[in-house]
Amino acid sequence: MFLQILLTGVLIGSVYSLVAVGLTLVWGLMDIINFAHGDLMMISMYTVFWLYTLLNFDPFVSLPIAAGLTALLGILIYKFVIKRVVNAPGLMALLATFGLSLFIRNLAQFLWSPNYRFVGESILSGKRILLADLVIGLPQLVAALGSIAMTLLIALFIKRTKTGKAIQATAQSRDIAELMGVNTEKIYALTFALSGICVGVAGTLLSGIFPVYPESGAMYGLLAFVIVALGGFGNIWGAFYAGILIGLTEALGGFYLGTQFKYALAFLIYLLVLQFRPKGLFGW
Amino acid sequence: MKKLLVAFFVCLVFVAFAQQVIKIGAIFPLTGPAAATGVKIKYAVEVAQEIINNEYPEIELLLGKTAGLPNLGGAKIQFVFADHQANPELAMAEAERLIRNEGVVALIGCYHSSATKPASQVAEKYGIPFIAGSSSSAALTERGLQWFFRIAPHDGMETVFFFEYLKYLNQKYNANIKKVAVVYIDNEYGVHAAQMVKEKIKDYQADGFSLVADVKYPANATNVDIEVQKIKGAKPDAIFHASYIGDMTMFVKKYKEFNVVPKVVLSYCGGYQDPQFVVNLGKDADYFAGPNATTSALFKKMPILAKINELYRAKSGVDIDGPTLEDFASAIVIAEAINLAGSTDPQKILNVLKTTAFMAPYFVSGRIKFGPDGQNIYSASVMTQIFNGVYEAVWPEQYQTKEPAPQFPEWNKR
Repeated sequence: MFLQILLTGVLIGSVYSLVAVGLTLVWGLMDIINFAHGDLMMISMYTVFWLYTLLNFDPFVSLPIAAGLTALLGILIYKFVIKRVVNAPGLMALLATFGLSLFIRNLAQFLWSPNYRFVGESILSGKRILLADLVIGLPQLVAALGSIAMTLLIALFIKRTKTGKAIQATAQSRDIAELMGVNTEKIYALTFALSGICVGVAGTLLSGIFPVYPESGAMYGLLAFVIVALGGFGNIWGAFYAGILIGLTEALGGFYLGTQFKYALAFLIYLLVLQFRPKGLFGW
Repeated sequence: MKKLLVAFFVCLVFVAFAQQVIKIGAIFPLTGPAAATGVKIKYAVEVAQEIINNEYPEIELLLGKTAGLPNLGGAKIQFVFADHQANPELAMAEAERLIRNEGVVALIGCYHSSATKPASQVAEKYGIPFIAGSSSSAALTERGLQWFFRIAPHDGMETVFFFEYLKYLNQKYNANIKKVAVVYIDNEYGVHAAQMVKEKIKDYQADGFSLVADVKYPANATNVDIEVQKIKGAKPDAIFHASYIGDMTMFVKKYKEFNVVPKVVLSYCGGYQDPQFVVNLGKDADYFAGPNATTSALFKKMPILAKINELYRAKSGVDIDGPTLEDFASAIVIAEAINLAGSTDPQKILNVLKTTAFMAPYFVSGRIKFGPDGQNIYSASVMTQIFNGVYEAVWPEQYQTKEPAPQFPEWNKR
């Protein structure tokens, strides 16, 4: 039983990680808290849902479409909202993304009603792996593995490629990066696109196991903030480990202390870390 | 001048002989997150108004036979709709407006218990009757209000209904159901339902029932894996669910994944009763059960209900469901009470509401009678269970459209 709970925690945590990685990228680069991050995930889930309902696309076929759409939305959010407030006091950007989040949620409710929907059938649905006493749902497993792979790709991209290095340089100092010939405008837009891809993929992977409704992304968005703060702002692997840690806390704490406390425990850890290690567990 | 005088008299005569119109306020969530439900309820109340104001001899209701209220010289009823958008403050403001500006003589509403609460407080302040159709929080009738009445059974009554049903399964089918788990969302609805289970199970200990798991999960849960593992560990025979449609669907998916096979799963009024439950889950929704004020399967057994549904379907395009029928009942009952009182004097209407047993042939209970706390003492519910995507009535026996399944089949043998 203990193993099963541990496994559940890791599987849930991996998906949290991917959502958080998207958030930490933007945060690390621009010091901007994107409140609409979770709502982009909701848009991705709706994309998968509608492609499934109207055109009978399997979520895996929809994955590039959903991720592409959220990447595009990420760029649009940058161009039309963030860019205008990036030099204003920090609170402005926060309020702007908060307003954007409310707008996206209410628009979704207006367009698609507040009903809870599910992607009924995918090639994975209902399949599971049995290992002695362990039950591993295939949709969950694929969601976790997909998230880990995506995180790895993003990390490699940032560390190894020239563009990735430009992102790092811009994060350290925008002015110096510009002096070195980096088009920081493009870098910002690209980072928002990457962030969009992260939630786009996470949303697609979750669409088979989580209901699609206008508030779908709300709790994931909130947990992502906790994870980013835990992992250290802007630290991709920090966010990854912190995501797993939150998943484990939720699973073990929920099982042994009472499921009603599972999020309370995650937020308690967050408060403790803020008190004793404000830079995050893996921050520097 | 002469012409003017004649015209004036004509007007006067016209006014004197024009039928009186009695206004009743109807506050429902017509826009906002619960708009889909609110609009359906509005259709049902409109059907009630049609039946009251016109002759429908084939619908054997007191006010179906005549046009208007016979005891008030054929006065017509007009329901004045107001929208609370699932917002309690708005419900309160609208109640105030309806009473002061529109001059309504009674109120019905509001679907959400949270909205019914403040709106009925306003009715109490002004001393006019308020009848809630479908709001189910037991707390509503525990406030000691004079002017408040409720038709739907509350969660305490539902809990008793659950245990009686389990007893029936044990006696008739030898189901050997003993261990009960309660799974509920962490809000007023879920917590109160769980409290009722813990309270009522004491009365059923002699029948062998015991509570083996108490699983409360956060509203907005991102997953229910751990919850389901806890339930699985407790190996309950029966699971009582107080969940909404989103979380309920996640639970069913996880029950399947972790192969949780209880004997019965009974749901408080919530996610299970939403037709979307069957749409979302398809075959996996089969064998789940819960109380409902009505189900389409009952129409062929209850001709009056079928006729009401015909009128309702013409407006809404779908069959009437439990909560909607309860709000329909609130509209009929308040009109009957005004008719029996023979006046719009609130005190007289109140006396009728407090003392009369109303005929309700559209409910399986057949009657509505309010107790001293304003709660309808007859539970207007049947136990339904889903077979092949259809909500069948399985208990009490006289309304059975299909025999209940006292044991969930294994998930892989469906």
